[in-house]
Amino acid sequence: MEIRPFQTLTLRARRFYVGAMFQVMGRALQAMTEVDGEACRETRQLPPGFLFEMRVLPSGPVMVVEHTKDGRLRFLGTDAPRPINLSIQFKHMVHAFRVVSFQEKTAIAFANERMLVDGDIAYAVRMTRVLNRLETFILPRFLAVRAVKQYPRSLGFVEKTAGAARIYLRVLRNLIGNERPYE
Amino acid sequence: MSSRFFEFFCPVKVIAGKAALEHLPWEMQGLSVKRPMIVTDKGIHQAGLLEPVLAACREGGVQIAAIFDDVPPDSSTSVVREIATLYRDKHCDAIIALGGGSAIDTGKAANILVSMGGDDLEQYSGAGILKHPLRPFFVIPTTAGTGSEVTSVAVISDEQRGVKLPFTSSFLLPDAAIIDPRMTLTLPPHITAATAMDALTHATEAFIGLAKNPLSDAYATAAIQKIGQWLLPVMNDPKNEEGRLELALASTMAGIAFSNSMVGLVHALGHATGAKCHLPHGVCMSLYLPYALEYNLEYIREPLGELLLHLEGPERYAQTPTEQRAESCIAAIRALRDQLHQRCGLPRTLEETGQVEFSQLEAIAQLALDDGAILFSPQEVSFEDAHALVCRAWS
Repeated sequence: MEIRPFQTLTLRARRFYVGAMFQVMGRALQAMTEVDGEACRETRQLPPGFLFEMRVLPSGPVMVVEHTKDGRLRFLGTDAPRPINLSIQFKHMVHAFRVVSFQEKTAIAFANERMLVDGDIAYAVRMTRVLNRLETFILPRFLAVRAVKQYPRSLGFVEKTAGAARIYLRVLRNLIGNERPYE
Repeated sequence: MSSRFFEFFCPVKVIAGKAALEHLPWEMQGLSVKRPMIVTDKGIHQAGLLEPVLAACREGGVQIAAIFDDVPPDSSTSVVREIATLYRDKHCDAIIALGGGSAIDTGKAANILVSMGGDDLEQYSGAGILKHPLRPFFVIPTTAGTGSEVTSVAVISDEQRGVKLPFTSSFLLPDAAIIDPRMTLTLPPHITAATAMDALTHATEAFIGLAKNPLSDAYATAAIQKIGQWLLPVMNDPKNEEGRLELALASTMAGIAFSNSMVGLVHALGHATGAKCHLPHGVCMSLYLPYALEYNLEYIREPLGELLLHLEGPERYAQTPTEQRAESCIAAIRALRDQLHQRCGLPRTLEETGQVEFSQLEAIAQLALDDGAILFSPQEVSFEDAHALVCRAWS
């Protein structure tokens, strides 16, 4: 059956949105490990040079980040310089879209088998916690509660707002090519 | 709590009941098996459980070509290689795993090597690596707890690298699982209790977890009902063949349930405790089950309240006000643990095990946070939460 132009447009828009969100998330992950001690404590347990990717199967958007050292992550874009250590793969673009548009929580997506994990499960659990923390910081509370299992009681308004501002500032700086990742 | 999306898969032929073993030759002939190999452990051999299997095969016209009876409790890649070598030397064409979780996992891993070729098991580690069906494989469980006969997972230690290699593929599932009450009739009381609590935990976590679904719910509730009805009668009368079969079936049903909806916080804590303190898995499950349910209580009140019906029966369920059913279910599990403690000394606290130091609790909590099962806990778990929970389970 022929795909109508409107459907083609929807598919393209969905792909563009997921790709754009991966770009933002990758940069935000890098920024968060520069400003948030708790996220940094989590990522410090990863081996230096550890490569993590999120990918949409079969040939959708990709996001690659590297643990450089001391808990710092660096966004590498869509290409990995060597074999990936941990890959979280969405089975379909629709599944990725549901997660990054906050229609389905990450934990529920795992439970619903929307995603596959290729690599050490312990690291996947750790990276899921880091992604959850990122979402609680960078999303408004009403969206964050849709993305994570429980919104952390300990995260106060001031800490969240200040953290989000610092993360977004660094993402912006990174986007316009003036990043200072290790200050 | 019910999920709007789910997957459910269980293609294993379950052959259960009296004289179930005697169906094995016919099943093997149906797959053109002529030279099967048995993979088991010394304990099974010494307990005399090998004999009925050999007799059933002999009488059914199938000659067992080789027996490997040296599977250790924590099996390793070198053991799997040894089995694969014996399989090839004896020109075998099928594997029969006879035993508990370790023998079954070892049988699954050996089947990978003999089907895929080579001696490097690690290259097949991970999810979805196997791309085609393996050689004929049959499982005869001799404990009623792990549910390994219906799960598509195996874990084998790589002793050289000091890591555990996980294997996940639907091709690991056996062609048939034989559930015969003779195989669990001589199980010692403390193992009967611990493995039944393992099965109870599988079913409970399957029923309250994030990945619960209507089909796994059906298996989970049926399993819980059987355990609630038969565990104490079997503890009182270990030779109760009907009860033994019901517990074995409960274990298989709980296995089908959790392999389609995953386990949760109890398993995350139990895996960590087993790794740090070398406590048996079933004991760990029994230790943590009520505490993990209490931790998640406000997120699972409705399904947990429903479990009271299956665990304690309709009379107790009807007598309990709706808002108290979840707490009553936890109380019923605690009472069951007390009964098991009285009958066989099954520990109820970490302190009672005599194998855990209070100073290890922080490390247990930390390790549990990295366990994959924790993702399926309804309530998010932080280090402080996990540590508080293991401290409550201490004494």
